[in-house]
Amino acid sequence: MSPLRRDPFDPSTDPSTTTPPPLSNERPVSNASPNAPPTPALFSQYRKGEGVYDELYDASGVRGAWRPFVQAIEGLGVEGFKRRWQQANRALNRNGLAYSSWKENEKEARPWELDPIPLLIASEDWDIAVKGLQQRARLLEAILTDIYGHQELMKSGVLPPEVVFSHPGFCRPFHRQRPPANHFLHFYAADMARAPNGKWWVLADRTEAPSGAGFVLENRLIQSRTLPTIFHQANVQRLAQYFLAFKRAVAAAAPRVENPRVVILSQGSGGPNYFEDAYLARYLGYTLVEASDLAIRNHRVMLKTLGGLIQVDVIIRRPNSDQCDSLELSHTAEGVPGLLQASRNGNVAVINPLGSGLVESPIFMAFMPKLCQELFGEPLLMPGVATWWCGDPGQMDHVLANLDTLIVKRSYRMRGRELAFANMVRNQSREATIKMIRSDPHQYVGQEVVKRSTCPVWKSQGIAPAPIAMRAFAVASGDDFEVMQGGLVRVSAAPDPLEMSILAGEKSKDAWILSQGPVNRVSLLKKAGGPIDLKRTGGELPSRVAENLFWLGRNLERADVCARLLRATIVRLTSESILEEQPETPALLRALADIGQIETGYGIEEIRKQLPPLETALPPAVFDASDSFSLRAIVTEIFRLTTRSRDRVSSDSWRILHRIDKSFTPPAVGQWDLSDLLTLLDDLILDLAAFSGIVSESMTRTQIYYFLDMGRRIERALQQVRLLRNCLIEPTGDLTAILEALLEISDSSMTYRSRYLADVQMPAVLDLLLTDETNPRSIARQLVQLLDHVNALPHNTSSGLFSLEQRLAMTLLNETRMCDVTAFRESEDLNPNAPLSLLLQDIESLLPKLADALSNRYLVHAGAQVQLTEIRS
Amino acid sequence: MQYRISHTTKYSYAEPASVCHNLVHLAPANFPRQAVHEYRLTVQPSPPTIVNRRDYFNNRVDYFSVTEPHDGLTIVATSRVDVSPPPPIEDNPPWEQIVAEFRPGTPRILSVLQFAFKSRHIPMLDQLQEYAKISFTKNRPIYDAARELTKRIRTDFKYDSSATTIQTPVAEAFANRHGVCQDFAHIAIGCLRSLGLPARYVSGYLRTLPPPGKPRLVGADASHAWFSAYCGDKTGWVDLDPTNDMLCSTDHVTNAWGRDFEDVTPIQGVVVGGGAHMMSVSVDVEPLEPTATQSQSQS
Repeated sequence: MSPLRRDPFDPSTDPSTTTPPPLSNERPVSNASPNAPPTPALFSQYRKGEGVYDELYDASGVRGAWRPFVQAIEGLGVEGFKRRWQQANRALNRNGLAYSSWKENEKEARPWELDPIPLLIASEDWDIAVKGLQQRARLLEAILTDIYGHQELMKSGVLPPEVVFSHPGFCRPFHRQRPPANHFLHFYAADMARAPNGKWWVLADRTEAPSGAGFVLENRLIQSRTLPTIFHQANVQRLAQYFLAFKRAVAAAAPRVENPRVVILSQGSGGPNYFEDAYLARYLGYTLVEASDLAIRNHRVMLKTLGGLIQVDVIIRRPNSDQCDSLELSHTAEGVPGLLQASRNGNVAVINPLGSGLVESPIFMAFMPKLCQELFGEPLLMPGVATWWCGDPGQMDHVLANLDTLIVKRSYRMRGRELAFANMVRNQSREATIKMIRSDPHQYVGQEVVKRSTCPVWKSQGIAPAPIAMRAFAVASGDDFEVMQGGLVRVSAAPDPLEMSILAGEKSKDAWILSQGPVNRVSLLKKAGGPIDLKRTGGELPSRVAENLFWLGRNLERADVCARLLRATIVRLTSESILEEQPETPALLRALADIGQIETGYGIEEIRKQLPPLETALPPAVFDASDSFSLRAIVTEIFRLTTRSRDRVSSDSWRILHRIDKSFTPPAVGQWDLSDLLTLLDDLILDLAAFSGIVSESMTRTQIYYFLDMGRRIERALQQVRLLRNCLIEPTGDLTAILEALLEISDSSMTYRSRYLADVQMPAVLDLLLTDETNPRSIARQLVQLLDHVNALPHNTSSGLFSLEQRLAMTLLNETRMCDVTAFRESEDLNPNAPLSLLLQDIESLLPKLADALSNRYLVHAGAQVQLTEIRS
Repeated sequence: MQYRISHTTKYSYAEPASVCHNLVHLAPANFPRQAVHEYRLTVQPSPPTIVNRRDYFNNRVDYFSVTEPHDGLTIVATSRVDVSPPPPIEDNPPWEQIVAEFRPGTPRILSVLQFAFKSRHIPMLDQLQEYAKISFTKNRPIYDAARELTKRIRTDFKYDSSATTIQTPVAEAFANRHGVCQDFAHIAIGCLRSLGLPARYVSGYLRTLPPPGKPRLVGADASHAWFSAYCGDKTGWVDLDPTNDMLCSTDHVTNAWGRDFEDVTPIQGVVVGGGAHMMSVSVDVEPLEPTATQSQSQS
């Protein structure tokens, strides 16, 4: 037995027994010197699984590839390791890494869990898998080329025609298309497991739109940050090589164009891959779009942007093939009508091409060895898990006779519904399964279950073995494929078929392919020396993104003003004097009711007396998620909008918004009251300020910024007008106290004091909050910025006239500038019909008109798509 | 028999639409017993280009998009075709022999075999097999059985254009014994396929015949549909019309064939904007030489 293989049930290794164990968890680092045997504190409880391949151990002890790593990890000690891991977990949390992205009515997306121990594979071991994967990718592509071309395999019967003709994914319009760069497969992934004999087996092929590469990238980021020194000493092959090849493949697919416009066509923020799509879009510098962002004109694909339609050259496709063109595939209402014909005409490269998913169905696994011989004249290098197709009577008998050991799958994969089917089969009786198969044998296959290898996994108190599966990635490179030096490892204690969904399994791992010598450092940044065209704008902004950012700006500002109003009120509720005795109370309550934070009744004194006391009513109202006006609902909306604009928000700003969403909730346990709420509001206001700071300091002044900021300016001006109206129109009681509260909520008390000391007077307050264009909180300041932004947007300059938005913004600013605040001194100046009130009313009615005008010109898409109906005979 | 055909489809939208994309199967097919002398497609508002290609079943497809704001769309397809009667059926093997020809393990013609499988709108149903077996008795010649099935559908089913829609499943139309030509064609195809026989869906036109003593009605008809049964490699495909209980001859003009309705929809279109829309259609199949009248029901 190797020194690392200790029986966890042997008391001599159990630290909890009275006899001090020989190995303490707190051994100093020096004990891990190369001369002495490593201190197996972390790995002490690791026991290799029986009858499976263990990634860590072979018969004689720790495998060579793992030895330096195990030694280095033990050198950290349990506590050191734990600490690093906690830090990494925080990083994961901060990045808001989640698999399933935002869904309506679902509070939390499923978090992505990373295991801190990577899977280590020696380069020479991995090279064997690489060759197998390359051959498999070439083979699958050759099969696709044949099926969508001359169909020789079906004519000769090597591939039974039934397999293709019964395939629900064999959409006839995909036949005889000319795929970009003559490749039917640009991206390929395989789910693999290592069998007891140490060989990798393919559990499933992924050819439709393989996902997961973004997660590999993110895992690597966190993993290398957790163990930076160990990572660098270990000669880990870099992932960048793969992504360079990815970019080359995309460029090679582009028709005719030097510098192609590339988009990632995502299934949208409700789709399961949204996070990854957004992540990759940012990492690779492509534009993230949804089907509704694209339009076909003259058999070309155009992106709808603020500046008009611009041509798209390459589409990296994520939705299923049969959901991409509602014109030719009339069974779907989704997609971009006319996409297929645009692609047939060679005006756009769709990768993977439509129809590529055909061969990822399990039924093809039954024919792969034969097809490889037929097409390449060589044996299949990387075997697939043994598969029997029930469409063949002999094979069906085998499946029915071995139902206990085989797993039954649908012959034809239905993306996203495989796990549900597996569960259904598992839960139904044997008789029901037999009946199901016999009723339509073509539809089912039986597959052998591979005993997956085990790998060390971190459990709260130590390291234990767990079965793993690995997804490998390949991208087209010339006539062959480049395989990623790494992959997505998934861990599952239960014998779940991990190949069915990337969601399956408990957590994931980074995979390190260890080179013998130093590794090549590559970077996605262009090599110095090459010519570069200077640009002052980023990619053109899709109208949908602009709309999200506009509403993000509005909601951010609304959250800020709500929080400040609530804080001012709670400070008064918790002060020495009773709320009712404070002169500014009616104004505050009116303002709170006006912005929807409390019931309207609280704003009217007579009704307020019959309502529950504000102290008890306010805290739950703030967190009432069912009320769309509540502060919590606004925070949720902010997070939703940010999620939908993931590719446009910097990672620092995302962290702040993610933190706001996570932390702005009432304490989960125990009593909580106004003082807790006050703390939460303080934090929220600070976080919102931090976000604004990042935005103003780090966002370039392009259309993205304009739309976000126009949203903010419109909302801030609108809220400021309302606040002034609620506080100053027909005020009751001591005007000074009201003015002071107004300055406080407007974050302008400091400025006021520095100018006027304690002399609080109406004209001076009004100047600061209404007409002073130097105060970032004044209404005039918002209007100045709005006019600037509106002028900077793309306009139809041919007419020479001002646009409606420009005219509205100018009217607003001019009316405010014409206002003489020194005239408002007497109480009658605050009557509803006095000039101040009329000005406020004007601004309040013109701002929404400006918002509408902007929306109509830049944001609103053309109407919904309708499929024409037919009259039948 | 020579015909001039015009097929006019008009859509009107509730609101102006910004764009519409269309693909149409409106061209008559060219094959040994039908020659197309002329085919023209005109669209209003006129699209910048109309392009065409052959689909998987070798039918002609025309594509066009209207990219200016419009509140309606008119599509007119006109053609001149010459149709000959089918040759007399000389080789008429037992139906089981055809089934055997398409069993796995035998060399098979893919272009025929592909019509032996279920398709999106025509599932394999036990009840259809049961219904088919009444005509497909042991060793019965394929044409005789298919011809009788055609007659039985005409007898057993009620033609009712309000009873079904495009969405109505075959099982429902079959259970209720009613429908239109499309339903009857789907049912017949489902019957044949359930026995292992290849069968395909045919869309086209029926010659517009006048009722006795009255002038010919113009533009009262829509496009028609029937089915085609594979009767062995010597006889090939034989077209049968269950709506009118007849062997298709010179009264039927073929447009396109596919596995079911979806493969050969005359007009597929997507409109962006436009709101709700209304549609009207008229088909005129005018003989270019006088012929004897014959009574039959129009779909």
